[in-house]
Amino acid sequence: MMAALQVRRAAIGLLAVVLLYGIAAQIAHGRLPDRIWMGAHYVDNIQLLPTWRSLAEEGAFLIESDILVSSVAVSTRRVLAGLLLGSVVGILLGLATGRARRLETVADPWVTFFRFTPALALLPLYVVWFGFGELSKVLLIASSVAVVTLLGAHHGVRAVPPVYLDAAASLGASPRLAFRKIVLPFALPHIFAGIRVGVGLAWVTIVVAELIDAKMPSLGYLLALSGAYPRVPTMLIALATVGALVLAFDLILLAVQSQATRWMRRTA
Amino acid sequence: MKQRSLLLWISSLVALLVAYTVVAGALRRPDILPTTPEILQTFGSLLVRGNPPPAGEMHHEHHQHQMRSSDQVDTLVQQGVTLQDALLVSTARVLFGLLVGLPLGILIGVLLGWSRRADDYLHSVYVLIRSVPPLAFITYIMLWLGHSEAHRLIPIVYAVAVTAVIPTYHAVRDVAGRYLVAARSLGARGRLLVTKVLLPAASPAVLGGLRYAVAIAWMTAVGAEMLMAENGMGNLLVGGGMWSSRMQTRSDPAVIIAGVITLAAAGWAMDALARMLTAHLTRWVR
Repeated sequence: MMAALQVRRAAIGLLAVVLLYGIAAQIAHGRLPDRIWMGAHYVDNIQLLPTWRSLAEEGAFLIESDILVSSVAVSTRRVLAGLLLGSVVGILLGLATGRARRLETVADPWVTFFRFTPALALLPLYVVWFGFGELSKVLLIASSVAVVTLLGAHHGVRAVPPVYLDAAASLGASPRLAFRKIVLPFALPHIFAGIRVGVGLAWVTIVVAELIDAKMPSLGYLLALSGAYPRVPTMLIALATVGALVLAFDLILLAVQSQATRWMRRTA
Repeated sequence: MKQRSLLLWISSLVALLVAYTVVAGALRRPDILPTTPEILQTFGSLLVRGNPPPAGEMHHEHHQHQMRSSDQVDTLVQQGVTLQDALLVSTARVLFGLLVGLPLGILIGVLLGWSRRADDYLHSVYVLIRSVPPLAFITYIMLWLGHSEAHRLIPIVYAVAVTAVIPTYHAVRDVAGRYLVAARSLGARGRLLVTKVLLPAASPAVLGGLRYAVAIAWMTAVGAEMLMAENGMGNLLVGGGMWSSRMQTRSDPAVIIAGVITLAAAGWAMDALARMLTAHLTRWVR
């Protein structure tokens, strides 16, 4: 439980950022150049630091015109699909390789290979294999998520002290029971840590993957479009929206994790 | 036992390579699954600098090494792009990101972990900033700083810094805290406290985060190069202009596979270096 003092201080910290940005934007208003050379031509009417007022107006427009809401829905659906697919595959493989030494040896060269491959580099390959459509985006997210969840689950299984397993075995527990009652609960925090990293990766991936056969509505294309015109308030709102979604996913995961590991003694 | 598992490891690698070679050879669709010799030839073409030789020598040259060609390989060879140059550029970007991002992240981590007050005020701000994916704000940086190296480097620095904060924060707050109390009660303060107690105590965890930072730096560098860059591995893979061109054309899978293998090897090598560095710097822990 957070103490009241901490909540108040966190609120002050956030408020200070909001105020400082407002002041900076007001000072910048009319002072920063509004005409920018874009490599090939000048663009006029750029607000490099839009005021809160223009951000609010733009936000209201984006919400009223349904652009933002539908973009969030489409991108979130893709991330969720990839996250679900990737973490199910990754966790199952991680549990398996964590349990069976021989399987680990067989899988190791391939896990190592994918572990050091930046998932984004696979994007053009997935386009060739799975087309420009939905499938390549979801599979790309799933690949980047699968690697980290696999590693999380694997290390979780390996972190179980052998004493526990020996004790359970000597008391007559079947391997299956030991897996359910000892290995799985022990690995759970590691599995969650893997998924949390995966969420971050998934949103990094979608921002780029949505430039493939780019269509509205999607947050990745909204970001690209607002950069192409360029229209800074839209860009900043899209950025903040992606950030808020990452944060929301993370908070939900944390809540699920603390529910799932209620029985554990918490240190921090 | 040890020998047997090494044998198993190698045979797993060989088995899948053989399986790939057979499947790709039987499929005969180089536009989907290039055969193993084709991938090796692509490596060859990409490693040789593409100075188109005079017409007379062309014939001779052609006989000497069989090179695979496709539109993408031809374009890359014509532009004088080689795999080693692209890798060098990307590695330089990754290293820059690590050299600038790590100290920055460690500094923030130490500040938040050291001072309870700073943590209370700033942790929520940090979490907000951390949540923004680094590749999302490339265009915003471009508006501020123009089309330059900055909008490729800043996302990498940011990604590294943000990931380095967490392990440092926990190390300073949880691990080093105990030693700090002891050292303080013995009268240590100021610089002595930082250099002799805090940093050594926190270093194992901080260095543990280094490996993850390396992986993130590569991911971000390749992504930034795919979006907007005239060189580097990301550029080699897709032409480097995804943000403006939206990538409508298919690439040559042989080039992508060659690039992915190179990236995986580079990432592995840098990770091995990071592990060696960690082992060397934390010798005293055991």
